[in-house]
Parts: sequence; C-alpha cells; structure tokens
Amino acid sequence: MTEHSGIKKGFIALTLFLYILAGILPSQTQEKKEPPFPFSEYQLSNGLKVIISEDNSLPLVSVVVAYNVGSIYEQAGKFGLAHLLEILMFQGSENVSPMQHISLVDKVGGVLNATTTDDKTIFQQTVSSNQLGRILWLESDRMRSLQITQSNVEQAKGTILEEIRRRKATEPYRASFLLFDRLLYPDTPPYIHPVIGEEANIRNITADDVKKFYSDFYIPNNAVLSIAGNIDKNKAISEVRKYFETIPKGKEPSPIPLPEDSKKTSIIVPITDPLAPSPGFYLGFEIAPPSSNDFYALKIIEYILLHGKTSRLHNRLIKKNGTAIYFNGNIETKKNLARLKIFVINNNEIMAGRSKRAIFSEINKLRSRKISAEELIKAKNMFKMDYINQYATSLGKALLLAETFLSKKSLDALSTELDKYLAVTPFSIIRVTNNYLIKGRIILEIKIR
Amino acid sequence: MKRGKHLKAALFFLFMILFVWESPLFPQERFRKSPPNPEPLSSLKLPAIDSFTLTNGLALSVIQQDNLPVISLKMIIFAGESHSPEKLPGLATLTANMLSRGISYLSFSKIEERIESFGGNFSVTIYPDYTLLSFTFLEDYLEEGIKLLSRMLLQPTFLRREIVNVKRSMYYDLIREYEDPEFVAKRQLHRLLFSGHNYIKSTYNEDVIKNLSQKDIVSFFQKYYRPNNAHLVLTGNLNLPTASRKVSRHFRNWRRRELKHTFVPPPNPNTKLRICLVDIRGTSDAWIYMGNVISTMARQEIFPLLVLNQVLGGTRISRLFMNLRESKEYAYWAFSEVAPFKNFNVFFVKAKVRTEVTHSSIMEILAETKKITEKKIPSFEIEQAKSFLIGNFPLDIQTFDTLSAAVSEIKALNLGEEYWEKYYDNIMLINSEKAFEMAKTYPLLDPVVVIVGDSSKILDHIIHEFAEIEIYNSKGILRQKFTKGEIK
Repeated sequence: MTEHSGIKKGFIALTLFLYILAGILPSQTQEKKEPPFPFSEYQLSNGLKVIISEDNSLPLVSVVVAYNVGSIYEQAGKFGLAHLLEILMFQGSENVSPMQHISLVDKVGGVLNATTTDDKTIFQQTVSSNQLGRILWLESDRMRSLQITQSNVEQAKGTILEEIRRRKATEPYRASFLLFDRLLYPDTPPYIHPVIGEEANIRNITADDVKKFYSDFYIPNNAVLSIAGNIDKNKAISEVRKYFETIPKGKEPSPIPLPEDSKKTSIIVPITDPLAPSPGFYLGFEIAPPSSNDFYALKIIEYILLHGKTSRLHNRLIKKNGTAIYFNGNIETKKNLARLKIFVINNNEIMAGRSKRAIFSEINKLRSRKISAEELIKAKNMFKMDYINQYATSLGKALLLAETFLSKKSLDALSTELDKYLAVTPFSIIRVTNNYLIKGRIILEIKIR
Repeated sequence: MKRGKHLKAALFFLFMILFVWESPLFPQERFRKSPPNPEPLSSLKLPAIDSFTLTNGLALSVIQQDNLPVISLKMIIFAGESHSPEKLPGLATLTANMLSRGISYLSFSKIEERIESFGGNFSVTIYPDYTLLSFTFLEDYLEEGIKLLSRMLLQPTFLRREIVNVKRSMYYDLIREYEDPEFVAKRQLHRLLFSGHNYIKSTYNEDVIKNLSQKDIVSFFQKYYRPNNAHLVLTGNLNLPTASRKVSRHFRNWRRRELKHTFVPPPNPNTKLRICLVDIRGTSDAWIYMGNVISTMARQEIFPLLVLNQVLGGTRISRLFMNLRESKEYAYWAFSEVAPFKNFNVFFVKAKVRTEVTHSSIMEILAETKKITEKKIPSFEIEQAKSFLIGNFPLDIQTFDTLSAAVSEIKALNLGEEYWEKYYDNIMLINSEKAFEMAKTYPLLDPVVVIVGDSSKILDHIIHEFAEIEIYNSKGILRQKFTKGEIK
C-alpha cells in the first residue's frame, strides 16, 4: 500500500515535472516567429530610420516618408500649420520646381499622396521600380531644402481658407463632429482642433512660423523612410545613403506633453447643426491606450459591435428595429489616447432615443453574457482579413512599417501582433466591456433646425 | 608651446570645416542638381493563368499566388444588362442581386453571417455585357467558400419576400445615384449613344423595377446561369489540379444547357455634333460628358487608342487638364477615358467646369480633340504617354481581387490573352505616325455632348452658340429643343 502510494506520488511528481517541462521547453526551443513579410532595418548617421522590404511580384516600388509630427504639435494660435506645411512640400525645393514632384510621378504612371493627422505627416508614392532613384532624389531634396517663401505660404493659406469655407458651407454634421471631438478628448488645446486648422489661426501663420516648424520637425532624426517593392535592398540602401545621409541632423524635437486621460464623467450635450438634414447623435467612450493589452480586446469588440452587415449594431439598428438610417463607428487613436466613437443618423428624435437605448442594451449584453464561439470567430476573421489587406500591396507594406515605427512599437512586434488580436477570449471581452464601455460616455445629440 | 600651436591649428581647421559645412556657400553635391536617369525598366512577369474546363462546360482559370492567405473567386456569367428582355430592363441586375438572398438551406441573413465568418466579402457587378460575382475570403475557408458560391448558383430560392427587398434597394440606390451629376451625365451619354441598340437597356430608370417578377427572374436565371455560359477565375495559393478538384466537387451538378450567343453588332457611331443639356436645378457647376462609339476595332487597335487617350486626357499632365484647368482656368478637372465593351469601345471626355464657361470649355475640348486628328503628336508626348501606361499597368493588378478582376475583364470581353501578355510590347510599338493614322479614323469630332447642370444658369451661355440644343430631365426624357434660341 505504502509502496503503491509512493509509486503514485512519484508518478504524479513525474507527470507534473513533464507537464511543467512541456510548458517551458517549447517556448525555449520554439523558433522565433517570422513577420508577415520580410524587411530590414537601418539607421543612418543623421538619425534617419530606414526600413526596406523586398517584394518582387510586380515591377513596382512604394516609398513612404513619414514625419513624427502632426496637428497636436502645433502651438496655440498657429493651428493648421502642420497641414499647411504638407501642402508646401509640393511647392518646390532647391532643385525641384513647384509641382515638379507631382509631375514627375504622374509622367511615369505613378501615384502619390500626402496625409497629415494629429500625430504624423506621411508622404507616399508608388512608381515603376526603375524610378526609385528619382523618388529618393525628390524626397531628399524637400527634406533638406524646402523653399518656403512669403508668396507660396500666402498661396497655400488661400487654398486652405477656401477649403475651410467650402466645408463649413456644405458639409453636413461638420459642426457637430468638431464639437464632439472637443468633448471627447482632454481639454489640452492641441488635441481638440481640426487638422486643417482654424481660419483665424491660419491667417496668423507667417513664413517664419512655417520655416521654424519645418526646421524643428522635418529633419532626418524625426522621420522614417520605408521602401517596399521590386528592389535589391543592398542597392536601395546605398541609394538612400547617397541622397539622405548628408542631410544634417536636426535638434531632437522635445516630446510633446502627453495628457493623462481626463476620466470624464458621462455627459449629454445637445447641439443644433444647421446643415444636418436629419437628427442623430454621437456616442463616445474613453478607452485603454493603444499600448495597453486591453486594446486587443477592444479592437475585437469594435468588430463585434460595428463592422460588417451582421454586426450587433447593424442587426439591431438597421435590420431588426430600423431605428437608424445610417451608422458607423470605430476606434480612433491619437498618440497615447484612444476613443471608441459611434455616429448615428435617425429619421427623428424618437428614433434617435430608441437607437441610443438599443446601443446601451447591446453593450450591456456584451458585459454580462459570454459571446458565442461562432460570433467571436466571425469578428476575429473579419479583423484578420482587414489586417492582412493592410500589406496586400507594396504601398500597404511601406505604410505599415512606417506607421508601426512611429507608434513606438518595435517592428519585431509585427511577428506576433495579429496573434494577439486572435488570442482574445470571451472572458476578456466581458472584462474589457465592463472596464471601458460603461462609465465616462459622452453623448452629443444633434438637433435639426 | 608646440603642442598648443598644434591644438590651435586643429581647432582652426575644425572650425573652418564646421563653418563651411553650415554655410550656404557650401556647394551641394552635384547629383542633387537634376533628377537621376531611371534605370532600365524591369520586365513585367505576369502570373501564369492555368486553365481547365469541367465536363459541364464551366471554364476555370487559376492564378497561383502564395503571398497572402486569401482566396479570390470571380464568377463571370456571360450575360449582362444588355441581355435583359427588351421590355424588362433591370432584370439582369435584379437576378444577380438575388443570388445571395437565400438558398435551399440558408436564409439571406445566414448567408451574410457565413460570408463574414469566412472573413469574406461578396458583391455583384452588372455590366452591359456580363455579370461578375466577386467573393474574397480567408484561405482557411477554401472548401466552404467554393461550396457557398456553388449553392448560390445551383440552389437559389428567389423568395418573393426577398425579391421585394432587393427591388426596394435597387429603387432607392438608383434614386440616390441620380443625385450625382456625374452619374446622370454618364447615363445620359450612354442613353444617346446606345439609342435603338441592345445596350440601351443598361440605362434603365427606377420606374421599370416594379415590372420585374419572380417568374422573370427564374426564366432569366435558367437561360443564362449555366456552366457553359460561365467562367470562374480563382486566385490564391493553390495549383490547377487542386483547384479543379475542388471546383469540380461543388460545381459538377450544375447542368449545362445549350445557349446561342448571336453576334450583336456595335452601336452606330454618332455622326453629327449633338448638344444635350440635362437640367438639374440648384447645381452651381456644369458637368460635361462627350463621347462617341469607336466601333471598328481590331484587337491591336486598342493600343494606339490608349496612347491617344493618354495624350489627350489620361492624367493631370495631359492636354485637356493643362489647357482647361491650368491655362484657361475653366475646369476643376478634365479627363478622357476609353470604356471597353464587347466588340467596341466608347471614347469620352469628362470635365467639371464653371457654368459661365460651359460653351468655351466645350469648344476647347473639341479643339484639343481636333488637334490630335489633324497634327501628329510630337514624339516626346507619345513617349511620355507610353511611359505612363507602362508604369501604371501593374498598379491595377496588385491585390488578388484586382488581379482577378483584370483577368475577368479580359475573359468577359474576349480581349485575348495577348492583351495581357504583350501589353508592354504593344504599347512600345506605338509611335507618332501610328497614333496619327488611327486618330484620323476615329469619329472623335462628332461626339454626343451631354451637359449636366442648372439649365436656368447654363442655357443663357450656350443658347446662341449651337445650332440645336436638346433639353432633357435627369431621367432622360426630352423636354424641349432649341434651335438658335427658338423653341421648336
């Protein structure tokens, strides 16, 4: 009996030992997971980060230059400066005449674009891969010697002011959209003004302001250059060095103060939107920052509630109850802040009230009932497809690399990033819903005149 | 002492280097002065298209791509809106939209759930010549995806309740689209170019939707939705034998039925300048769509047309844009396009202009068009156009979905494999002479001109300028005709 019990104990100990070993060993011997596509990283002596990804499927190359600066870096009274500078980046540099950048890309059948957001400014182009040298020549010239004159600044200001006037006069729900952002984000000024700027501020901007902003932020040590396509990476980095390495390093920009989340209490604010054809409302929640582990579950919740023709809110508001004529929503991030935003348009205010109650009811279900395996798989697969589609093109790859770098995540994280979203469990959905989607909700009710 | 002297000299040297480096006098590297010459163009290796035909006649094209875990299916049905019965325009569209609305064992909402659970997206596009069903999903669901598509084609239920829903969507979608002046302009241009021809059916209005019945759908479906009238294009990480096996498993019970496709001659080109104004009150600008049918076209002749289009209005650096927008400041934008149909093309110019310069804009467009038919285009412009076309071509086939769509268009419009394989070579062969020879043969100078805008603002600017002006409402109904200011 004793012997038997000893054997039993020994067996249990052995089993436990093997179990622990099995838990440990695989992680020690497991090969490092590959990223979804290969890339190499470089750092030039002036601080410019360079990321190159070879993809020989088509004779194309995409070049992205992204600067770590956006509208939240603007000083009070100068809102709109970052976007204005983006426009000036096409107005010529020491060796490139105004609009020559666009023309050179157009002539060879390429496409280009530029975007300013709250926290980054991105310039992108896709051309035949034999044109790589030409694109590097163009991008390096405007990084080192942009021509900023009183005349081209005034011209750009005129274009922007006209655009603001047009939007104000014609875009329904613009006024309420801007107010909603002011309510949803901390009161720290840079976070709550539109990227395009404000009329009075734009009039105030001088050529000297633009020059200072350019020399403060458009420097190699505040930028990332990513190249993806049909190229030889050794040859490409050698070309990059030729065009970019002698651009002087700038003074390291001082980090902008990152506001703590405001921990707002729930509020309801009415607004009369003069251009809104129908009533509706915005609903927003402060949620965990993008760097948090909870962000993965929040992203899956975004898909469960909002994405696709079979999401919970589409089923409830559009198909089943028919209380909304339109809705959309997503998670928006600005540096270390994240918000879940929902926008609904209704036929009348009674329907708006019903839609609101339906949304809260769906959120309540999510916090109290375990989601079915099928529904969770569906949300994850939809997310997975969107995630994969990000790098379906050479431009997608270049953008993903540049944006991951600017987000301060390690590029190695790309190897396991998708898995983290796919590992979200039903229990984490309940926990995260309870933590973030209950209190601190902001509602902006849109009334029509 | 000596050491101090050396230190001084070194500091002076260092200072000079820094001074010169930071000084604007420091000359930039020579290579910065002008753009580098491009390297030789890389060859375009298009993915191979492997083909197989099932015993029931279903043709299969497989494009093996292993870089993404995604599958793209495009089912071409060789029947589009021009195949709708004469009295039932819109039927091809309604039938295609009904396919995902219920099958023998799944309701519409369950089909939607299943598609999204594959990470997928399903859509239908109805062209005048053919219908395209597009289904993209994660490769983990390869078997289920092919099965679901096959069931939509083999076992649709066409429930009356769902027919009502689809008809309602079609009705409101069209009403919404008619709010877009560009949509109105293009539809009206097609109405006038395809008048008296089969293709006119693709320009139907919402009023005809109510005439379509379940019986009509079943009849259209049974006639045209046959394996021997279809072609499946599959892109993903699988080879032809695997794809054939899987497709065969799910589609082998699709029954063939003989179907005669008679050759439909292209519409006759317009032969006299025709000015038509579509009245949409309250619009502040004018949209101009002008074009003609290019009917006699051998396969090789598309390439000079593409080059000519590029020179005239393909991009922001083409003649129309540079003239109407940059030089004259008449237009917000001005472009030209070649729209392919089976056996012919429509060449058209589109521009959004300020109302008060509508007439001047039309005259400038006509003048630019005339120029390419009367004077050889300089070689540098031809080379620039070719450079654009060659550089731009791969941009349209980057994703599995766009790659499948490009192959589907080639198959559906019977453009021939060489359109794909020899695109670069055929474009490279075009020179000033070839382009000029072809330009003279196209009926570019007698287009139908459609102007969309507020007639109360536009008419005063054009009424004395053209021999005859036809006024239509947005649905294409002729309201008035003016001859040099007189009401007819």
